[in-house]
Amino acid sequence: MKEPLIRMEGVSFDYRLNSEEVVRVLRDVSLDIYPGEYVAIIGHNGSGKSTLAKHFNGILKPTEGNVYVAGFNTKDDRYRREIRRRVGMVFQHPDNQIVATIVEDDVAFGLENIGVPPREMRKRIDAALEAVGMSSYRNRPPHHLSGGQKQRVAIAGVLAMEPRCLVLDEATSMLDAHGRREILQVLRRLHQRGMTIIAVSHHMSEAAEADRVLVIEAGRIAMEGPPREIFQRQELLRRLQLDIPVATRLAGRIHERVPDFQPDLIHPREIVDEVVRIAGKKGAAG
Amino acid sequence: MAREFELTRNITVGQYLPTGSFVHRLDPRIKLLACGILILAIAFCNSYGGNLIVLAFSCLLFRLSRIPLRYGLSGVKPAIPFIVILAVLQLLFYGDIASGGRVYLEYGLIVITSDSLRLVIVSALRFIEIIFVSSVLTLSTSTTQLTHGMESLLKPLGYLKFPVHEFSLIMTIALRFVPTFAMEMEKMIKAQASRGAEFGTGSWWQIFRRTKEMLPIIVPLFRVAMERAEDLILAMEARCYTPGGTRSRFRTYQTTFRDGLTLLFILCFSLLLWMYPFPY
Amino acid sequence: MGTVIEVEDLRYTYMENTPLAHQALAGVQLSVEEGECVAIIGHTGSGKSTLIQHFNGLLRPQQGRVRVDGQDLSDPGLDLKGLRRKVGLVFQNPEDQLFEKWVGDDVAFGPLKMGLPLKEVRDRVRWAMEMAGLSFEAMKDRPTYALSGGQKRKVALAGVLALRPKVLVLDEPTAGLDPRSRKELLGRIEGFNRREKMTVIFVSHNMEEVACLADRIFVMAAGQIVAQGTPREIFGNREVLLQHRIGAPETVEILYRIQGLGYPVDVGAYELDSAAAEIVSILRPQGVKSHGPGI
Repeated sequence: MKEPLIRMEGVSFDYRLNSEEVVRVLRDVSLDIYPGEYVAIIGHNGSGKSTLAKHFNGILKPTEGNVYVAGFNTKDDRYRREIRRRVGMVFQHPDNQIVATIVEDDVAFGLENIGVPPREMRKRIDAALEAVGMSSYRNRPPHHLSGGQKQRVAIAGVLAMEPRCLVLDEATSMLDAHGRREILQVLRRLHQRGMTIIAVSHHMSEAAEADRVLVIEAGRIAMEGPPREIFQRQELLRRLQLDIPVATRLAGRIHERVPDFQPDLIHPREIVDEVVRIAGKKGAAG
Repeated sequence: MAREFELTRNITVGQYLPTGSFVHRLDPRIKLLACGILILAIAFCNSYGGNLIVLAFSCLLFRLSRIPLRYGLSGVKPAIPFIVILAVLQLLFYGDIASGGRVYLEYGLIVITSDSLRLVIVSALRFIEIIFVSSVLTLSTSTTQLTHGMESLLKPLGYLKFPVHEFSLIMTIALRFVPTFAMEMEKMIKAQASRGAEFGTGSWWQIFRRTKEMLPIIVPLFRVAMERAEDLILAMEARCYTPGGTRSRFRTYQTTFRDGLTLLFILCFSLLLWMYPFPY
Repeated sequence: MGTVIEVEDLRYTYMENTPLAHQALAGVQLSVEEGECVAIIGHTGSGKSTLIQHFNGLLRPQQGRVRVDGQDLSDPGLDLKGLRRKVGLVFQNPEDQLFEKWVGDDVAFGPLKMGLPLKEVRDRVRWAMEMAGLSFEAMKDRPTYALSGGQKRKVALAGVLALRPKVLVLDEPTAGLDPRSRKELLGRIEGFNRREKMTVIFVSHNMEEVACLADRIFVMAAGQIVAQGTPREIFGNREVLLQHRIGAPETVEILYRIQGLGYPVDVGAYELDSAAAEIVSILRPQGVKSHGPGI
């Protein structure tokens, strides 16, 4: 068994409203994230999913329990830099995480912070912009970019630091369908290259991409498993008011009338394959 | 009327006009230094001859940087009232002081002599020259380069514990967010107008009323700015930023022979301007 | 029932006569009937925002004509305040615009600016809050900053509803909301249109949303309306969607792929049930199709 990259042990987190009131946002959460995994964390606003995500790189520290990143306890400030170099994070608002007036300079920001020599920086910036498909925008001012492009720049800024894990804290929620597709494509490519990915979202459809899904509700892990299994528990999903991917719902409807049709499909392409399997290739001939 | 809300769209700070000319490619530090030296020389130059030469030279600078002169002129335009007021004041009150030379006109308190006339014309020329020279600087240098150049030049202050790097980072972030906030403000004005807000209904002395009218814009803008700042801090921290920590630099400027030559030329030009006894 | 909004050959250029000039509208032609629910879709930068800002007079036509409820917006004597009450415009992320400390005060801003008597203001605030799905008694004295994102958006929506508009214009009404709040808000908007007979015009990137709400869709590209029709007509028109880089509901995407393999399905069948029926019909060829001819 591989060592987990991130290990959470009995983590609870209290958010302090004022001197008297305290709200418990996370309740006794334990989980392991392994190198190379693609994990989707799904939940509504206020479920605690974002708070959970901010524990992965030590931006927040648990009130109770411990979080270890590559063996470093996030509570120990001496390891802060080591932890953040290993776990990069992209946030929700495309506009609020770009610090420089030129794309390239923004990607350089993190590298400057960890003291990478300029010659090395050049290489890393080029590679990072290439990986997100933004090379041709390197000298543009960021405010002329679309939301999806800004998020790709933000991802490049993190990639340049060569982390082992990329956490996306609702990074697609402010984007339109087109922008969302751009980001998902980038994530898929990175995952294929071996990057560990943790995507926090309230869109179930994004969970279909993942190896493993965690559903968070009221600060607890409400469901956990591969997406295909999760999507089959429709009763529970409905009770949690989470959306079920169209492909899954469609497969369910068809299955009701054509029992041979598999009900547990999660990708549009699987529906198409299933149609071909049952109707045969004869359709192709006319 | 149609443009009632269009004040802020497409705002650009500085007004960088990339033409890729020789001037654009100069080291920003050299440009800043050269610009400073030239402005100093202009400030000390009070002959007609010298000023005409500088004026011609600054037009040449536009030519060299392949920027149309009208960009420089559009910078002069808003300054015209200021130049006129200055000229009138000088004419009115400097007659006594600069009373040398020939007297052209004497009417009550107003005395116009050849010396006071020179003063008026020369200051107007100096004003225009300074606008021209600094326009060439901002039009040929991006704001990023300007901040980097500034940081580099201010570096010696670091030994006096002046936080040069933080200063430059703050400048960069401020510049980065100007267009964002301009858009935000336009949207806010429109959104509030959509639900009945009116702006500028009171007369100018009704300060209280006018301020109150602005609250629906100022309050949310301020809150949004704070939210953005919080997000930004998180994002910076997540990328290993530690205030006061040592950082390396992505943009390094290599001063070339050409940069040195340019600086030398400007220096000589300025000295000449200052020392040479122009007959007029 | 009459035409409530009529746009003829509308053109608009930002920063006219400067080097930064940019034409956002290039001859828009459209009309919206009273009581309709229409969606305007199109890629970012196609001119949607510029267009809807003409509906309540935030922008005035540079060229062409805009008529709202019979009033010509080019008329110099136009009653702008009246127009903005008649056409309620809800911007994207409207929660940003809240500025009063208490929910009730913020919703009351518009009616107070209209100079209505206090009792009437109160009645309108109550009505608007209830319409937006906020209990008047429970919420009016809550501080705005302590609300959740979804609730803040409802407060902002109530602030516009309190003007009692005839036409409600919404820019990306559900952007950034989680599915729970999204679903509720969509239900509310549907209610304004179906029960309160408000004319609703909304801009959206979410095609599932467009499919479930709109009677009619306008597709914008490069400052013009390039296609219009019912959801079935628009989503059944692959060329338009592809050419203008507009997504389709996932059901339609799936049907297109199946059609691409040579199976006869009606790709415009965007509702889940009719899409399922289309697929069932090719799996059981003897079965009766529920909708029109294939291809």
